Amino acid sequence: MIDFEEELKKFHPSLEVEDAEEAIYGQDLTDMADLLIKMVEKTKTEEE
Amino acid sequence: MNCYNCGCRLSEYDFCTGCGVDVTIYKKIMFMSNRFYNDGLEKASVRDLSGAIISLRQSIKFNKNNIDARNLLGLVYFEMGEVVTALQEWVISKNLRPKKNIADDYINMIQANQTRLDAINQTIKKYNQALMYCYQDSQDLAVIQLKKVLSYNPKYVRAHQLLALLYINAEEWEKAQKELQKCSQIDTNNTATLRYMREVEHMLMPEEPAKNTPRKKKTAENVVRYQSGNETIIQPVNVKESKGVSSLLNLGIGVIIGVAIACFLILPSQIQNAKAGINDELRMVSEQSDAKTATIDELEQKVQKLTDEKAALAEELAASQETDDTLKATDGLMMAAGAYLEAPDDIEKIAGYLEALAAEDESSEAENGENAEDNRSESFVALYDNLVKAVGPRLADYYYNIGRTAYFDEDYDTSIPNLQWAYQYNSANNEALFYLGNSYRGIGELDTAKEIYAQVIDNFPGTRTAAQSETNLAEINNAEQQN
Repeated sequence: MIDFEEELKKFHPSLEVEDAEEAIYGQDLTDMADLLIKMVEKTKTEEE
Repeated sequence: MNCYNCGCRLSEYDFCTGCGVDVTIYKKIMFMSNRFYNDGLEKASVRDLSGAIISLRQSIKFNKNNIDARNLLGLVYFEMGEVVTALQEWVISKNLRPKKNIADDYINMIQANQTRLDAINQTIKKYNQALMYCYQDSQDLAVIQLKKVLSYNPKYVRAHQLLALLYINAEEWEKAQKELQKCSQIDTNNTATLRYMREVEHMLMPEEPAKNTPRKKKTAENVVRYQSGNETIIQPVNVKESKGVSSLLNLGIGVIIGVAIACFLILPSQIQNAKAGINDELRMVSEQSDAKTATIDELEQKVQKLTDEKAALAEELAASQETDDTLKATDGLMMAAGAYLEAPDDIEKIAGYLEALAAEDESSEAENGENAEDNRSESFVALYDNLVKAVGPRLADYYYNIGRTAYFDEDYDTSIPNLQWAYQYNSANNEALFYLGNSYRGIGELDTAKEIYAQVIDNFPGTRTAAQSETNLAEINNAEQQN
């Protein structure tokens, strides 16, 4: 049996056009490659 | 694939040939990103948009510079009605690769038409407003808003899902099913859609396999309300129909209607056909009657014509008979005259011709009803008179002798005609007349005898024959009186 209230919580407001710019700027684009590079640099730094 | 350190193009080795750094893990990360991209592409091609989103997001998590994955992700978002999210990905994609990027075309497609952009914005605002109504428990308003949203953007999956959820909450299973079916058409493997669909199908088909079985639900208002196909049927509870009486009544009404239809629709046409048939027969009979009448008239005319011809022929025949009779009479006279001229003394022969002439006259009178003497010519009469004058007395004597002899022999049948001839040729012969009277008395013709006696008395008074006639007459009268 579906609980309406519980299901309703899963629905979030959509981004409006005015909010798109802020959402783009606020997005974290760090990916695995970036993490790998950070890890390699950190390792290098620690070795040095 | 380029080296993350120096940007040199990587080879098949696990190190960069430019700077020498170890690129094993880096390559694996890139491969994973590409792997997820391929998976996302495959899912998107079969319309598993939710699965494609997951795979593509994983792809860009491994490698944010996977432009193809990002562009495809934007495309998938756009197909699901998440326009702003799609724009977001395309903008990022364009920033990561400004040139030779299809994301540029996608962005221009949306932003070029300001009206369309405003409509998209309004759609999103209405969706958010509908969500707010849901939180405020104004579900009817939320339904109205969502319907408007979906009219602008029919591919907005989340709006369909929210609307379906509202219908499920209102237990309008059929409507919920419709919305969920639309979701499935856009995004086949959406988890929420599948979950809602299962709930709805369970409610529509609780235990029976039949699809259109209605499900009844009792409300607090003492009515039964259930869905049958696309219709909502509300039926009051505890309403019993008297089946027997109503069915009989309906049957009676049906019979009356049938009879009325037969009387007003079928019967007049049949009567009309019968009348037409009768009129045809009547016309046929009239024609036959007219034909027969015409035949009858024709035959009557023929009959009349033949009758006229017959009358004319009869007249001719009568005329010819008269002529014939006259000729016959003339022949008889000529023969009598010829016999006298040849043998004047042969009285017997002459008497015979004259008797024959008299017999012809009698037969002619009997046939025609006319007196033969009236048709005699003057020459005929003159010749006859002369002949009678010449031989009359001798004929009288001839006949008197025969008649008298026959009278005395009591042969009255012979005496009567001869005595008649004798008196005819000699009217002075009273004895011939007297004997004639006695002959008639002898054969019993008393009336004729009395007439002849009277003639004797009148014509020959004072004679013996007159006296004898008176005596005989008295005897006859006395005999009659005594009888």
